[in-house]
Amino acid sequence: MSVTLIVAVILMGGLAGGVVGSLTGLGGGFVIVPLLTLVFHIPISEAVGVSLLGIIATSTGSAPRFVGTGLSNMRAALFLQIAASSGALAGAMVAHHLPARLLFAVFGIVLGYSAIMAFMPQHSDFAGARYSSPLAKRLRLASSYKFGGERIDYQVVGVIPGFGIMIGAGFLSALLGIGSGAFKVLAMDRVMKLPFRVSTATSNFMIGVTAATSAGFYLSHGDVQPVTAGAVILGMITGGYVGSHLVKSLPVAIMRKVFAAVILLVALQMLLKGVFNL
Amino acid sequence: MNQLVRERRLLNTWILRTSIGACLLLIMVGLAMFFLHGVRLPEPPRGSLWEILRQAIRRGVRLHSDAFLDVAIVVLLLTPMARLLAGVYVSARARDWLYAGIGLLVLALVVSGVIAGQFGI
Repeated sequence: MSVTLIVAVILMGGLAGGVVGSLTGLGGGFVIVPLLTLVFHIPISEAVGVSLLGIIATSTGSAPRFVGTGLSNMRAALFLQIAASSGALAGAMVAHHLPARLLFAVFGIVLGYSAIMAFMPQHSDFAGARYSSPLAKRLRLASSYKFGGERIDYQVVGVIPGFGIMIGAGFLSALLGIGSGAFKVLAMDRVMKLPFRVSTATSNFMIGVTAATSAGFYLSHGDVQPVTAGAVILGMITGGYVGSHLVKSLPVAIMRKVFAAVILLVALQMLLKGVFNL
Repeated sequence: MNQLVRERRLLNTWILRTSIGACLLLIMVGLAMFFLHGVRLPEPPRGSLWEILRQAIRRGVRLHSDAFLDVAIVVLLLTPMARLLAGVYVSARARDWLYAGIGLLVLALVVSGVIAGQFGI
């Protein structure tokens, strides 16, 4: 296969990754890394570097949707970002010293967990916590947002456990080239009791900054092939845009489960590659 | 306070639209040139962002496809940093020194990622 054809296929892969990532809510990284490593046999460190840039692109591309809505809790985002960026920095450093097979195995496990979580019912608590913890009060994390013309005030709890989960989310993001959005929403939605809409909007900002922390490492380390990255970024932005429009017209609940089942198979393949080098 | 919220919204919207527009344009030009003339994949860039940009501008004069792609990647990488900087600016204007400081700390962590990669830590 000629180089131009390979790049064209990667571009189409990025497009598919953007669409699937957007429809499943898992993010494009879960599609791009297996595609580049299993199909094109690109070294996993290069695939992770390229995927992280794709994640910054999709986060940046979808950010205007949230700007000005008042949904993002910027104080919570900035405070938790200390943890996520620290984890990302550590993850990027560690990734370059770990054997590729271990990375494949960890990727398989995390991907499998995220695919199973996609089968779980969506959680949507509009009100959030009823009181703020002392640390949340000190950090002024409680806020409000508007929904259906009504102003909804919410409180915040579980700041320390949320901070801890963010370190892990940042670490995994840098190690595997994923957005770790599922873990970030888990920390904010389930542990800190932020309303679901607020968690999602805040997580979008954080995913971009976390990916930038580790993508900078991979880029300056010489792990980012510019043509591959360009094809993936263009494909993922376009795919993300197409996916966000398909969400409105397709039976997303069913499609999400079908794609999650496919992703579960990919997870198994990554795990087998990691454990048995198949 | 409303004036500051409006300022933050305008700044963020401007940063996001400019960067994503510039990045997409540069990538499309770079990929179009690669599809027209590319026979092999170029070497990945490495070193500081400044060094990557300097090399890209040098190759860009000779219309190398990777020069456009390298600049697009750097623009993309700088976007979250610019959003952080905008947040720090707005927090400082509101005399919210705690969050101005936290923003600067996060920015330092992001920049240290580039520096650590450059020295192969």
